[in-house]
Amino acid sequence: MATSEEIMEALADFQQQCNNNKRLRRMQRDWTKVLHFKGTETGDYFTMTVEKGEITRNEKGDNGVPDIIVETDSETLCDMFWGDINPTQKYLRGEIKVKGSQEDIMRIDAITAIIWPEV
Amino acid sequence: MSIIDDILNETDPVKIREETERNYREHVNPFALRMFKNASLDIIEGKRSGASVWDISGKRYIDCVTGAGIFNVGRHNTQIVEALKKALDRYDMGGWISIIRERALLAKKLSDITPGGLKYSLFCCGGGEAIEVAIKLARGHTDRTEIICMENGYHGVTGFALPATGRDVYKAPFAPLAPGYRHVPFNDIRAVEEAITEDTAAILLEPIQGEGGIRPADDEYLRGLRKICDENDVLLVFDEVQTGFGRTGKMFCAEHSGVVPDIMVLAKSLSGGFYPISCAVFTEEISDFLMTHPFIIINSFGGTSLGALVALAAIEFIEENDLPAHAHIMGKRFIKGLLALKEKYPDLVIDVRGMGLMLGIEFPEESIGPRMAYQLNQNGVISIYTFNNPKIIRIMPTLVITEDEVDFVVQAFDKSLKEIRAQEVRFKK
Amino acid sequence: MAHKGTKEDLEAIKRQALEDFARYVNPQKTRVLKNAGLDIIEGRREGAKVWDITGKMYIDCITSAGSFNVGRRNPEIVGALKAALDEYDLGGFIVCSKQKADLAKKLADITPGDLQYVMYGTGGGEANDFAIKLARGFTMKTEIISTIKAYHGHTGFALAAIGRDEYKKPFYPMVPGFKHVPYNDLKAMEDAITEDTAGIIIEPVQGEGGIYPATDDYLKGLRAICDKHEIALIFDEIQTGFGRTGKMFCCEHTGVVPDIMTVAKSLGGNLYPISATIYREELNDFVVTHPFTHLSTFGGSDLGCIVGMAAIDYLVKNRVPEHAAKMGERFQKGFDELQKTYPALLLETRRKGLMMGLQYTNDSIGPRMSYQLAQHGVMAIYTGNDPSVMRLMPVLEIQPDDVDFVVEALDKSMAEIMKQGGIEKY
Repeated sequence: MATSEEIMEALADFQQQCNNNKRLRRMQRDWTKVLHFKGTETGDYFTMTVEKGEITRNEKGDNGVPDIIVETDSETLCDMFWGDINPTQKYLRGEIKVKGSQEDIMRIDAITAIIWPEV
Repeated sequence: MSIIDDILNETDPVKIREETERNYREHVNPFALRMFKNASLDIIEGKRSGASVWDISGKRYIDCVTGAGIFNVGRHNTQIVEALKKALDRYDMGGWISIIRERALLAKKLSDITPGGLKYSLFCCGGGEAIEVAIKLARGHTDRTEIICMENGYHGVTGFALPATGRDVYKAPFAPLAPGYRHVPFNDIRAVEEAITEDTAAILLEPIQGEGGIRPADDEYLRGLRKICDENDVLLVFDEVQTGFGRTGKMFCAEHSGVVPDIMVLAKSLSGGFYPISCAVFTEEISDFLMTHPFIIINSFGGTSLGALVALAAIEFIEENDLPAHAHIMGKRFIKGLLALKEKYPDLVIDVRGMGLMLGIEFPEESIGPRMAYQLNQNGVISIYTFNNPKIIRIMPTLVITEDEVDFVVQAFDKSLKEIRAQEVRFKK
Repeated sequence: MAHKGTKEDLEAIKRQALEDFARYVNPQKTRVLKNAGLDIIEGRREGAKVWDITGKMYIDCITSAGSFNVGRRNPEIVGALKAALDEYDLGGFIVCSKQKADLAKKLADITPGDLQYVMYGTGGGEANDFAIKLARGFTMKTEIISTIKAYHGHTGFALAAIGRDEYKKPFYPMVPGFKHVPYNDLKAMEDAITEDTAGIIIEPVQGEGGIYPATDDYLKGLRAICDKHEIALIFDEIQTGFGRTGKMFCCEHTGVVPDIMTVAKSLGGNLYPISATIYREELNDFVVTHPFTHLSTFGGSDLGCIVGMAAIDYLVKNRVPEHAAKMGERFQKGFDELQKTYPALLLETRRKGLMMGLQYTNDSIGPRMSYQLAQHGVMAIYTGNDPSVMRLMPVLEIQPDDVDFVVEALDKSMAEIMKQGGIEKY
């Protein structure tokens, strides 16, 4: 099980990786979304706000109206933000639940591809 | 017996002509047929080989139209026929969603032979379609909308290509067209400087205007465009649909000036004369847009397995036979012959110009173009005027044309000009 | 004929192909397909099946959304193209050609009613672009009404007619003068008509929109509206054409004849790009007064027309549309069983002939089912404008045992999805 502090730490690292990647920021400039993440067994929610490609906020709780909702066990959430797994593959194999448009889901995969190309 | 056997076994030219004209009149384009008949251009192609095509009645012509650059490797190139037949033993088009190996191989080859940092290819099956891809990539990459294009340019007739085409007659009946296009005079750097705004996404041009009358852009102009684009983060798009694959004496026209565009559009001769395929070739930086929008520009028929293999065979033929160099040499021979005609008929030939085997001969007045086409036809040469300017007859034979064939064409021009001169004399009386 | 080599050779070829595609064509597409288990490099292909070059067999239910009606690598059509290659090339596109004339006559014969003239193109989008241009040019009006979730292609006019913003957003501004109304809703269409409406364009079965067949009343109603207001009725039969729905053309089911029909895909016999816009004689008056205002360099090429004729000949001779209808019914029996077994997953099925859609409860199931089906030897994907629907469009001559194979693969895949969960409505 990953605690909500551990997940926030992972989120902070992910935020830094994304925001400091100039190429990604440019590619993502047309993307403004609210993402909710839920740990299935803990019931903990996390909200990520992206504005024109910049992750502006990570916070606990399910705030605002989400464009994308990701639900899986807390360990996997943590792994996701550290870049240890390919979330799209897991989604397609039914191990992560994702609600959102297919374009947005592919876009999340593109982010993964830029930050962690080997994943 | 398949319908194909029926078709291939029918050899009676009278029957073929009668049936074809009837069906054309009733099912295709009756007025076009009429106009062709008027111009004696109602050729029904039978045998085709190298620089020549035969009407089904047996009359032979040197084809100086070649679909404005489709048959660089020659009509019915047997090496490519063999390649496609071999491919047909194994392939079909391939599923559009599948990752097609042959498409990737062609893209790699195009990356090798195109200048500079042009690296990624998105395939379609028509030139206009590929122009649309270029325009979309430019808008998507730059987040701006305006396309600066050239008066008298020709880029295709589908929705995003049509507004770029610089001639009203193609556009007026279909208004309103997609907005965001600004036309400027060709070869005029000041005009471009004045037209650039904060909303300019790209500058689109043919390095030699084809339908505009065989007008090459000056090297200085192209360098100026590159500079403007670099300074303003605007994309430079070269439409090399007619000029590509050796036509101008180098593999791509851009090589003459050394100016490398951000997107290059190719079609026509990429087909080897057999299989519809076109592409937009672009830089890695622009490919980031596809990274975030991988399925936003799609089609069923672009870059099929068969198309890619034919294209690879065509490029191989062009390289093996150094067709660009041959085009350069034959082009010079043509120019020599045509300049002699200019001296002989100074009242009729205003200018001879072009690069490699993309040549044009300009007359003083519009009716001479169509009349010359008719005369040339009587003298065994198929040639027509450039669509956007009937004063110019284009000469764009296959790149495998021989010296004798070049001389034959020049002679045909001589005979035709003689007849036109006689007509002019008669008119004056 | 399979690629030759050892298993290692073939796997190396596959790896290289994926790498080259990512490096020179479309890296994210490569990734997406890999994620979905659909990173197939097509090797041998025949009839309803295709094999990855490393040997795994799949039943192709994608078939480029209806481009392979005659089957993958149909030997008769391959033979026709090979024979044609001895004599022909693309042909001079400006001059009149026998091949253009022959195919045009054939298309006039097999299309319903008095559809008679043909303008050729290479791609479906291009055919729709001309249809829209013709509607504007002939009526001398400007407005085009399309439907929400419609799919018509990516060239400029067709793109404006697409009923989903995602394909258009980065490329604004679009061609102006297009409206979108809900599909199968006659009142909405009536309300949308103005004095300036030039054309109404619809697919008789919305393909990318999620496999929604138009009702008879809707089509008849559209015909009446168009007659009353002098509007050109355009049927986009690019996916539905050439036997897909159990008849040669979908509009034959209702007997409603459009003013303009567009076809592509299977006209190319799975081998060659060709498309066509077929229209009534009355509209040809516009082409008479504007004979060269629409050109297509590669459209209606000698080889393309010959392949087109061979493809049509094959479909007619072998009564392929009828076979498609029969196999569609076999699939339906299988679907009905699946719906009973998995009511929480499969809400309904919609079908016309072998144009089939499985409606799942939410958007995630389509992609997840694609992955499962690929494991079980079936290639299938969701519809572009509605990911909660999985489209199944196999070759028309699919045989009963292959139909059963697909249904079984669906069964196994659905069982797996049930285990995973995540099937509730959103």
